[in-house]
Amino acid sequence: MPEKYVIHTTTAPNRFKAVSRSGIIAWEEGCLRCAVCVKERCVYDVYYKRKLDPRQMIDSIDNLCMNCLRCVQGCPKELITKSLNPEYKEMGDDFFTPEIISKLWSQAETGKIPVSGAGYPGPFSGPGFDSMWTDMSEIVRPTRDGIHGREYISTAIDLGRTIKSLRFDDSGALLAETPLLVDIPLPILLKVPPFGAISDKTLLGWAMAAKRLGTLLALKIDDVEKLPDQFRPWLVPVLEEDLTDPAIIPVGVRIVEIPWSSRFEKSAKIIKDTFPSMLVCVNIAMMDGMEEKAVSVADAGLDIIHLELGRYSEKEPETYDPRRVKDAIRSVHMKLVETNIRDEVTLVASGGFAMAEHVAKGMICGADAVMAEFQLLIGLQCRMCRRCATGLSCPVDIQDASAKWVAARVVNLFGAWHNQLIELMGAMGIRDARRLRGEVGRAMFFEDLDKVAFGSLGSAGEGFELE
Amino acid sequence: MRYNNSRTLALFYCQNVPGAGERERIGLEKKYGLSIRFFPIACSGRLEPVHLLSALENFADAAYVITCPQGMCRYFEGNLRAIKRVRRTQDIIAGIGLERERVGIVTGLKEDPKTLAEHAEEIFDKTLQMGRSPVLDKGEANYDHCATEAH
Ligand code: SF4
Repeated sequence: MPEKYVIHTTTAPNRFKAVSRSGIIAWEEGCLRCAVCVKERCVYDVYYKRKLDPRQMIDSIDNLCMNCLRCVQGCPKELITKSLNPEYKEMGDDFFTPEIISKLWSQAETGKIPVSGAGYPGPFSGPGFDSMWTDMSEIVRPTRDGIHGREYISTAIDLGRTIKSLRFDDSGALLAETPLLVDIPLPILLKVPPFGAISDKTLLGWAMAAKRLGTLLALKIDDVEKLPDQFRPWLVPVLEEDLTDPAIIPVGVRIVEIPWSSRFEKSAKIIKDTFPSMLVCVNIAMMDGMEEKAVSVADAGLDIIHLELGRYSEKEPETYDPRRVKDAIRSVHMKLVETNIRDEVTLVASGGFAMAEHVAKGMICGADAVMAEFQLLIGLQCRMCRRCATGLSCPVDIQDASAKWVAARVVNLFGAWHNQLIELMGAMGIRDARRLRGEVGRAMFFEDLDKVAFGSLGSAGEGFELE
Repeated sequence: MRYNNSRTLALFYCQNVPGAGERERIGLEKKYGLSIRFFPIACSGRLEPVHLLSALENFADAAYVITCPQGMCRYFEGNLRAIKRVRRTQDIIAGIGLERERVGIVTGLKEDPKTLAEHAEEIFDKTLQMGRSPVLDKGEANYDHCATEAH
């Protein structure tokens, strides 16, 4: 049994005060000057620890408040109210919602699984991964002594091709060559996001995090030179055009990503001829025809398919819809299964994974691993405001953060995700992440349930709620 | 950071002011750069003198509040209370020798509501006409005593 994989986390405090969900509106006018004011009775001493951060005009009473509402209910003149913070409401987008962003911040700060309280008040189903439920029937017998107890749940996966069958000669020696594999202890690869207030320090921090986590960081080939050589084994240089000159491939990397094009096989051949032990990953955009392209990559004997949700563009933000990812992965996975070549290639998906549960769901849909990109920024307190993409300065000066802090935040974030993944797998009765791939029997899909239960009555779309 | 020969305005605005969404705010940030610092607030009644004074102390030549029209506050009296608090802040700064108009409040009109961009332009013009704040005559923003330190 391999050594147990544990991600060591340490608190990495916020550099800027977090934008709080709600704010206290406390009116002094009309105060009765009660002998004991509700503010004095605050169990968290919120009103007495009050400080103002003038850079962001963030009042500590909003961050320290635990929303017990004792002051709101207790003031006899009803002078205290709580309201949603407009700055919070405006954060992110439909996919990276303010709730998700603030949970990612807290995981990156503490490395701990966020606790959201009792019960789930949200809608029954929603778009994307929210229309998919994992089967937690094994939760009645959870891992006996906690997620880091004696029972070993492995989150390790292999990147690369596997051969269809093993053949031996008369002496029992293996006939076929064993394909090369890169195994990583976490089914999550990191990827430099397409926008962000990113400096060389940020890149270094992400590379340090990839190394510490034992995973890989995909980045533009030109950025590889900005990092010390010692990080090469944990980097995946990404080429944006067909390869003609193998000399541009940095020595020491184990995987190279090339774009899908009519000439992708030529690029791959150049790499394999020059670096026989290097794995080739082919990037395919999630769009029409992706299934056939995936089959062509597997047929060409290449190692990894990176199924990427299109790039976010400021000009056409509406074309970027991470909720498509679930169906795209299923469709490509099923095509490879039908063509009987699924096991010969690794499928990595990127673009639509905002929470730890999405990793497991993406794998159930058919991905072997996922790539996280915007999470790397959000872990550094990014608000997904996209000011950097328009040339404005970053409200949280991400570019100035030290590499050490960047690495600690990212390790914390994925440490928390790793713990959640183990919880999920334990509750599903799955002990090995490799077994999660395509395991649709462990999930229920709203569309399918809807069809079975109400098909004869007509159909309700995703997000449908009873009044 | 402050630009030399320029002014910095701290602009607090109620979220119900028309055109006060994030997109519009980013558009205004592009137009004014760091000369206007925008602070959306749930209700103008949330502001206290300490917010305005802190802005003047740390980075702003002027600090203004834009409220929703009278009678339209979703907390009923928020904008009325904001008016009183701004007056109180004006008294405080006058007491230490600063011009009263370095702090101000603008209330929207129900029948002719102005957008955030229109308000910002008018208030910023007013700020440009003021001299630089003597409080900031060292020229750079001072966050040395900030509640949160950057690591
Ligand atoms: S906070 Fe805004 S400006 Fe800074 S990196 Fe994130 S999206 Fe870009």
